[in-house]
Amino acid sequence: MENTIDQICTEALREIETAESKDSLNAVSVKYLGRKGIITQFLRNISKLPPEERPKAGEKANEIKKILEKAFAGTANRLSFQSPEMHDFIDVSLPGKSALHGSLHPITQITRQICDIFIRMGFDIAEGPEIESDYYNFEALNIPKYHPARDMQDTFYVSDNIVLRTHTSPIQVRVMEKRKPPVKVIAPGKVYRSDSDITHTPMFHQVEGLMVGENISFGNLKGILTNFVHLMFDEKTSLRFRPSFFPFTEPSAEVDILCVMCRGNGCRICSQTGWLEVLGSGMVHPAVFENVGYDTTKITGFAFGMGVERITMLKYGIDDIRKFFENDLRFLRQF
Amino acid sequence: MKVSLSWLNDYVNIEMDVLDLASALTMTGLEVESITNSFDYLENIVVGRIVEISPHPNAEKLKICRVDTGNSIVQVVCGAPNIVENILAPLALPGTIFSDGSVIQRCDIRGQTSEGMLCSEKELELGDDKSGVMFLSGTPKTGTKISEALSLSDFVLEIGLTPNRSDCLSLIGIAREIAAIQRVKIKYPVKQQPDKNKDILKYTSVRIEAPEHCPRYAAALVTDITVSESPFWLRKRLISIGQRPINNIVDITNFVMMEFGQPLHAFDFNRLAENRIVVRTAEKGETFVTLDHKERILDPEMLMICDGKKPVAIAGVMGGLNSEIGISTKSVLIESAYFNPLSIRKTSKKLGLSTEASYRFERGLDPLGTVKALARAALLMTEIGNGKLTGGVIDENPLIHDVVPIELSVSETGRLLGIEMNRENIKSCLESIEFGVENADSDTLKVTPPSFRVDITRSVDLMEEAARLYGYNNIPTTMPFMHAETNQPLKTLVLRDKIKNIMTGLSFMEVINYSFINESSCDQLRLLSNDTKIKLLHVLNPLNEEQGVMRTSLIPGLLETMRRNLSQQVRNLKLFETGNIFLSRGQETLPEEVEMVAGLWTGDRYNSAWYAKETGCDFYDIKGIVEGLISGLNINNSCFTKMSSELCRYTKQGHTAQVTIEGRPIGLVGEVHPEVLRNFNLKQKAFIFELNCNTLLDVANNAKTSKPLPKFPFTTRDITVIVSKDIEAMSILGKLNSFGEKLIENTQLFDVFEGDPVPPGKKSVSVRIIYRSPEKTLEDNEINGIHINITNRLLGEFNASLPA
Repeated sequence: MENTIDQICTEALREIETAESKDSLNAVSVKYLGRKGIITQFLRNISKLPPEERPKAGEKANEIKKILEKAFAGTANRLSFQSPEMHDFIDVSLPGKSALHGSLHPITQITRQICDIFIRMGFDIAEGPEIESDYYNFEALNIPKYHPARDMQDTFYVSDNIVLRTHTSPIQVRVMEKRKPPVKVIAPGKVYRSDSDITHTPMFHQVEGLMVGENISFGNLKGILTNFVHLMFDEKTSLRFRPSFFPFTEPSAEVDILCVMCRGNGCRICSQTGWLEVLGSGMVHPAVFENVGYDTTKITGFAFGMGVERITMLKYGIDDIRKFFENDLRFLRQF
Repeated sequence: MKVSLSWLNDYVNIEMDVLDLASALTMTGLEVESITNSFDYLENIVVGRIVEISPHPNAEKLKICRVDTGNSIVQVVCGAPNIVENILAPLALPGTIFSDGSVIQRCDIRGQTSEGMLCSEKELELGDDKSGVMFLSGTPKTGTKISEALSLSDFVLEIGLTPNRSDCLSLIGIAREIAAIQRVKIKYPVKQQPDKNKDILKYTSVRIEAPEHCPRYAAALVTDITVSESPFWLRKRLISIGQRPINNIVDITNFVMMEFGQPLHAFDFNRLAENRIVVRTAEKGETFVTLDHKERILDPEMLMICDGKKPVAIAGVMGGLNSEIGISTKSVLIESAYFNPLSIRKTSKKLGLSTEASYRFERGLDPLGTVKALARAALLMTEIGNGKLTGGVIDENPLIHDVVPIELSVSETGRLLGIEMNRENIKSCLESIEFGVENADSDTLKVTPPSFRVDITRSVDLMEEAARLYGYNNIPTTMPFMHAETNQPLKTLVLRDKIKNIMTGLSFMEVINYSFINESSCDQLRLLSNDTKIKLLHVLNPLNEEQGVMRTSLIPGLLETMRRNLSQQVRNLKLFETGNIFLSRGQETLPEEVEMVAGLWTGDRYNSAWYAKETGCDFYDIKGIVEGLISGLNINNSCFTKMSSELCRYTKQGHTAQVTIEGRPIGLVGEVHPEVLRNFNLKQKAFIFELNCNTLLDVANNAKTSKPLPKFPFTTRDITVIVSKDIEAMSILGKLNSFGEKLIENTQLFDVFEGDPVPPGKKSVSVRIIYRSPEKTLEDNEINGIHINITNRLLGEFNASLPA
């Protein structure tokens, strides 16, 4: 008898699984579980069995009923997703509905990259006013009135004593006035010089840096800036430190990198020299420390500055600095 | 500063090739910016052989030559008397450009074609001979370049000098650096000892009335000179470094200035009234005509060189026309002075006149070089100008050059540079550039800089000299040890970065415009005279009118950007900018700098979308952006209210909202006023916003606190009311919220409608009210009672009705 019911079950499961439609599945259901169905009949017949066999048979029959019901439900679920609308399709090649991302100005992107590198090296960021007094822009930086070094920067004047800052270096002074050493800051910002051609715009962006403390050396300056150049360009970039002059640093150094275009062979971008100037730097001049009240017998430090446009032009292969401020969307979209 | 190698070789034997030399100079601080060959102008001139000479049919003095150029035989018309067949001569081919600007072209000379020019020595600037064609000796191949055939090569280095290195504004100065690099001695020109006798005092005198402007003035007198063209070698020297030869006397003063760095001036002695020199400051309003024929207006701070009666030169800047050396000049008074650098610089700045002389004076001369250069020039004038030197020189007020040795600590030098420097290293570096070095104690050197190094005043200057000569590349690259402590990030920067990230996320493109604008932008924006944005800060020396004042709003920049893009057929724009505006507090005071963020949307709502009709963006699009930005900044109590027309001048009245947060005005959002569009020459609508970041920073709430989530379901009821058209929809929601019904969790506006069946002058406003209790699931009958109550109150408040 048990064999029989097991056989019925196997046969029923096969029929359930192979049902092709809701109708045929229904038919199978009626066949087994309907009022006159095979399983229903079997259950009814239990009462005719000897009393000692009834519990076992009943248990068995209920178990099989559950198995079949679960199988019916499973197949019914499967068949329900085979409706004709499930064969519908759409054109997935059509563009998605407007959810475009805007973009940051290339100068912002590169400024962020520069700042990120220095932040990882432990520098803070500082800012300062774009319109400065002559004192902060020049005198505190060891550039007295009528000093020939003022010719290095074509200054926009607002009055005799107020200028559009020509560099971000005044922030050095403002920071040192407020903080005791050690100081590690960089200062990004807009600067202004009266000059306009393919490599100059009257407004551009600089990032200034300052690291001051006990025993900060020129070797450290080389270390930090070499690290920066390697992260900003690539690890293999050759660089050289070349003596130069800035009134607020001494010794002063220009930092050149091997031309990214010609790899040092000489080209139009590097004026045939094979090298590209990317940073000005130097050990903070004692006169600047004296102006902010630092003890020059103990404290040393270095400062550096770079033009963001120049670095952006090198990184992105841009040949005309004026493009940054024309804001032609076809240009901006490229970054 | 330009220098030629052949000239430098007069003072130092250059052992390196030109590229190595350039690199070595650059790496010691004299940046070589370019290298050119000074014979480049001979590029198109080749060795030609005159094969055949025949007379010119139409000109007696001209001849027709057939010249072998190596490649072919060409016909050249020539008027030189010395030509004979079979000689080799320089032939300038078509395309040659001479220094006077003339160009050789294939041309017709009296009916005969001429395909080049046979040249004289003078024409090629290779000598003085202009009597005929230059004959080339030896056996150069025809067709070879003349520069090759004559082995002509002289490199000219253009050196970008930093302002501290006034000592290198001379050939000797540069030669000294080369000698230091090669660690050899420099060969100075033979020093002239002025005569012991003081005959000169019989003829002239110098009186300094302004010693603070002129600490030293020396003069020499040369008589019986002949003014003429300078000899070839002298002209060549000057031309090679970009100087224009004038006449032998002027050329000598320029030559010696270039050689020693000491500017000299030659006066026509006979044109000096009373044959004497007075050095004084100018009188107020005095005028003077300089050598460039320009009349200059003087002031009492300007130092003048005068004769017995009148000014004859602006000291250190430029001589006067009234004592200019001319062909009739017979006697010359040579001036060699040391003027106060600051005085010369001020004069030069005020006059807007910078010359080779003023450039050197203002950077500081060798105070001991005055007489040396004078004697050299005087001697050259006797040699080249056939003059007679009057005995002795005048050397008025000889400046006492204070030699103060500077103490230099060897260990401090090492500490600053980050390398163990030993005493001998430092010594040999400094001695190579003529510094006197003595041992003071075990760690200290006593260093005496030479008189020409006026930039060296403190020990750090010496450390730099040691470092650059030691070689920056020889200093090891090391990492510093620093304290790890750090500070809070700048709040302004954090906010700005956030704004930029949100705006790009909202599909806006960042632009950066100049901080200056045209003063007329204020009128273009229709600003009234009492507007704070009209407090303009003027740039005294702008590049042009468009950049005349500092911006007081970001809007003109955005509108300009829009105009530029429209002209490039880019007409759908979503732009934003962050940056400072500048509100003047007067030209003598620092302005108030306020950081702003502004945006502009113009063109279509969707960029060429296939799923929607092309629809222009509108007020609600840009307002949505502002709302997105503000909520992205974690600010949720912003308020948009109708703005009165006096407050919004550049946006359209009735289409502008003021943005406030906690009652503080943050900025505005609206449609650009049609008149402003026209003023900026814009032909499509634009929508803008402009917000004050400083205020945003004040109200931004960075504290975030978690609240428990509701446990019970909400129930909604919709309500539609018909109200007068002028009632702001959001005021209805505001009113609902003000009723103080605790079970109202939220209200949402979901429809606003005007038109049939809503009566004219009215609109229907539909609001969904979300009810929820924190304690239980609300029953329908409970809410219905509340809702009816609320509906009735609302109808009463707005004189509204329910839809029919």
